[in-house]
Amino acid sequence: MMGVGWRLLSVLARALEPAERDVVLGDLAESGEGIGAATRDLLGLIVRRQLALWVFWRPWLALFGVSCLAGFSLSRIVFRLNVDLHKHAVGYATSLTAGQEMAFLLCLAGALMVWSWTGGFVLGSLSGRAVWLTWSVFYFVVLDSAWTRFVLTGRILLRTARSHEPLLQTLRFLMGITLPLSIGALLFLFPALFGAFLGVRRRILTVHNASLIASANIALTVLTTWSTGWYEPAHLPARWPGVPWSTRLLPFLLASWPAAYLLACSLSTRSRPKDLTPAPTGARLGQH
Amino acid sequence: MLGEFEYLLLSAAARLGEGAYGAAIRREIEGATRRRCSVGALYTTLDRLEAKGLLRTWMGDPTPQRGGRPKRMVQVTGAGAREAKAFYRAVNRASHGVSWAADRTRGSS
Repeated sequence: MMGVGWRLLSVLARALEPAERDVVLGDLAESGEGIGAATRDLLGLIVRRQLALWVFWRPWLALFGVSCLAGFSLSRIVFRLNVDLHKHAVGYATSLTAGQEMAFLLCLAGALMVWSWTGGFVLGSLSGRAVWLTWSVFYFVVLDSAWTRFVLTGRILLRTARSHEPLLQTLRFLMGITLPLSIGALLFLFPALFGAFLGVRRRILTVHNASLIASANIALTVLTTWSTGWYEPAHLPARWPGVPWSTRLLPFLLASWPAAYLLACSLSTRSRPKDLTPAPTGARLGQH
Repeated sequence: MLGEFEYLLLSAAARLGEGAYGAAIRREIEGATRRRCSVGALYTTLDRLEAKGLLRTWMGDPTPQRGGRPKRMVQVTGAGAREAKAFYRAVNRASHGVSWAADRTRGSS
C-alpha cells in the first residue's frame, strides 16, 4: 500500500469526500487488486460522483451565472484595464489630469479584485466538488473571451506572423491563451482563487461579512461607473459624447451579481445558522 | 421495485449479516454473478438504497489489512428485506414456465 502507484491513488482519491475516501482506499487495499484495476475502479467512482453533482441546480448556476456571465464581464474589464494601463505606461495623451487617470485605474483595479474574489467565493460555494470544472471554465472565460470576441467581430485584427520560427509563435500563442501574463489577469487570478478556496470550505458568510462585501461591491461599482464616464470622452475624439451611464453600468452589474447572491444567502440562513447546506452528493455515512 | 443490482447487493448484505461491508459485499456479488463488480456501482447503489431506507450504513473499525482504514458497515433494514422478497417472488413468477427456468430445475435436481 506504500508504493508510488498507491500514493498516486491516494492523491486521486482526494476527489472524493474524506469519509468515503478512506473507506474506498481501504476496500481497494483489502481486495488486493493491481494498481491498474484499482485506478480504474477509483476513477469510475469519481466520475459517478462528479456526474451526480450535476443533478442539482447549484453547479449549473455556478457554471452559467458565475463562470460564463460574470466571467464574460470580468474578461472585458481585465482587457480594458490592460489596455488602459498600457496607455498610461506609454504616456497616451488624454485631457484627464494625472490624478484623475490614476484614480480611474485604481478604481478599476480595485473593483476587479473585489468582483473576482466575490465571484470566486460564490463559485466555490455553489460548485462544491465540481469546482475544478467550473473554476477552469471561469478562468478561461475571463482570460480569453474578451479578446476572442473582439477578434471575431473584427475589432482586433490579427496579423499573420512573419517569424521564421513558427514553433515559437505557436508556443507564444498557447502561453497567451492559457497563462495569466498580464497585470489585469493577475489581479483577477489571485483574488478569485482565494475566494474559491474559501467558498468551497465555508459555503456561506456571516451577515456582517456578506454586508461588507456587498457594500464594497456597490461602492466600487458606483465609482467605476462614474470614473469611466469622465475617462471615455477624455481620450476619444472630441465629438464623442461618451457611453451613457446605464450602458457602462451593465457589465459591472453582471460582474458583481454574486455579491447580491452572497448577501441573500447569508440573510436567508441567519435564522437557521446550523444549516450549512450539505454537499449535493457523496456518501452519507452514519456514525455509530 | 428493486433493480437487479440493488437486489444482488441486498442479498449479499443479508447473507453476510454482521460481516457486511463494502469489500465483502463486492466479493459476494462477484462470486454470485461471476462478473466484476465495480466500486463505483457498489457505492452509488449503497447510497441509493440507504436514501430509500432499504439499508443503513455506519463506519466500522479500521483493520491492519486495510492499511488502518475504516469499513463502511452495512445492515439490511426490514423495509429492505421486504423489497428484496417482493423482487424475488416477482422474478420467480415471471420465470414460471420458461425454458431456462425449467433447465435450471432439472440441472439442480
